[in-house]
Amino acid sequence: MAKTQRAWYSGMLTTEDWWAVWLGLTFFGLGLLTIAGIDLVGWIAYPSKWVFSLPDGAVAKKIKTIDHAFSALGGKYSLTAKGMYKSLGPIGSILVTYVVFTIATTIGAYFQKWDVKRYLGGWTIIFFLTYGVWFIGHHAFFAASAVDLKKSHFPDMFTLSLGGGASFILALIVGLIIGNFFKPLARYLSEAAKPEWFIKTAIVFLGVKVGYLPIKAVLAGSKLGAKGAKIGHEMANLTFDLFVAGAAATIVAYLIFWPGVYTISRLIFKLPRKTAAVLGSAISICGVSAAVATGGAVRARPVVSIMVSALVVVYAVIELVILPGVFTHVWPGPSDPLVAGSAMGMAVKTDGADAAAGELLDEFMRTKIEKETDGKVVWMSGVITTSAVMTKIWIDMFIGLWAFILAIFWVYKIEKHEGDRVPFSEVWFRFPKFVLGYFAAWFIYLGIFFGPGQAGAAEGMPILKAAKAGAVPVEKGMRKLFFMLTFMSLGIITDFKKLAEAQFGKMVWVYFVALFLFIIPVAVIIAYLFHHGMQIPNMAGVVIN
Amino acid sequence: MFFLSRAKTRKQVRTIEMVLDHDGSNWLVSNDRLRLSASSLEELDRMVEAAMEPELAREKSIHVFMTFNNEVIPMWIRPYMNHYFNRILELPLQYQ
Repeated sequence: MAKTQRAWYSGMLTTEDWWAVWLGLTFFGLGLLTIAGIDLVGWIAYPSKWVFSLPDGAVAKKIKTIDHAFSALGGKYSLTAKGMYKSLGPIGSILVTYVVFTIATTIGAYFQKWDVKRYLGGWTIIFFLTYGVWFIGHHAFFAASAVDLKKSHFPDMFTLSLGGGASFILALIVGLIIGNFFKPLARYLSEAAKPEWFIKTAIVFLGVKVGYLPIKAVLAGSKLGAKGAKIGHEMANLTFDLFVAGAAATIVAYLIFWPGVYTISRLIFKLPRKTAAVLGSAISICGVSAAVATGGAVRARPVVSIMVSALVVVYAVIELVILPGVFTHVWPGPSDPLVAGSAMGMAVKTDGADAAAGELLDEFMRTKIEKETDGKVVWMSGVITTSAVMTKIWIDMFIGLWAFILAIFWVYKIEKHEGDRVPFSEVWFRFPKFVLGYFAAWFIYLGIFFGPGQAGAAEGMPILKAAKAGAVPVEKGMRKLFFMLTFMSLGIITDFKKLAEAQFGKMVWVYFVALFLFIIPVAVIIAYLFHHGMQIPNMAGVVIN
Repeated sequence: MFFLSRAKTRKQVRTIEMVLDHDGSNWLVSNDRLRLSASSLEELDRMVEAAMEPELAREKSIHVFMTFNNEVIPMWIRPYMNHYFNRILELPLQYQ
């Protein structure tokens, strides 16, 4: 039975893209119930920075002892079930998290017609491996910054100061070790190692984060009176600025990147026209999805898109490893964090690698600015990630339209196929559905802020506090868990040997030259033009969760 | 008005559904009563037109909606993009 897309609702129950929406919106919806006084999300297990035992004089504030390395977020944030969630303890909260997400994701696996038994086995291993790595990565040696040490009254000691980034790096390393040195295990786990599904779900959760940012700012700054509400407005405005600037930057990037890479492929590397078009989209737009969409648009044999896609996923992981560090420590650095985030969105070519790189950048940048200013500048987590994802989402959304325009141009003008007509429904079939979940979550929380929350006025505070209790476990606990799962899965499915074995020929070099000498520098310049000067509100002196 | 009249014209034309496929070297198109293959889409289109000749003699024009068999896309790529392309072939072909 052929798998075709004919009706607008095709794939709603059978594709990862749609299942990211269902999964993301289910937990987003459960989170909203806290407004009605029902807390069904506070069980999510979340790590704290930890040490085996506290040194003399230290207090368990930012850094805790090993027995508190994990806790259910509801134990801290729930308004109605704090005691119950606290009583779960570290192991209990991890087990509840496992049970809930095992049920939820297995339902998705079943509808997507995966091998459910193999999925369950693989998922269980990946889940506990992820939590194990999350635990190790939060040891104070890896994660604690100088500011954390100071706030917990620790004596001066050497730490890597990587924040939450340490866990992401470790997850990727563990995944890569499995993917490259334990290949039978990697093959077994591959049924459950689904970075695109995990990241798209995480991006829906990020929608909660973006909508919740103004609420968080207002609540955190409430003790500052009018200034708290002002910070909330600044945060709401910033998210809209990122939305608009991301769109503008994406359009400019499309217009510069694609012709540039196409020209490099044709003139310097003498690639055939269709291959150059597919490669041009893959390197300059959104990687695998662009390679497949463009292959279809120019009526290329599917093998062209498949080969280019294999290149994209390997290069994306290389970018994920290199770019967060370069953008943090070389250029643009903490003086322009949103330029760096936006550039990441334009440069890294898969959603998984981009959002993961954005999250890593977020951790690195926040840790660096706190360290450099001795805690006088503190940024809320997730804003830099948002800037990276916002640009990427625009790029993803435009691909359907771009492939449609390219198909018309190619079919009617270049190859002049007789009788060939491009249906407009192609735009919808190539539209990334998970962004619907992202926008829904964002706008509903924003609606709560400006609607019943009265934009931070005193009368709206109770409802904002109730919304917070449901938003935090989703935007913090579940989002970061799905980021961790993405890092781990990306590593597991990435086999660098494939790059050497496959007959990519010149394409490897076109990719290398175009990406590192053209796309990345131009992405930073475009990001600078549209995002330079945008400031993340300073939350120093305000309680940060 | 142009789009409206074009849409109206299209509605009056009979549309035949077919599945488009690629086996690694040839394009294939099939439905319940027809199965054709060719190395290029242009060649395939001409074969479809030839196969439809009796119907084209009765009707002024026919549209063939070709939905691509997305199973051609390997499993590991489908999470990124699960749609290759659909196309409509307007018969008779307008030879130049």
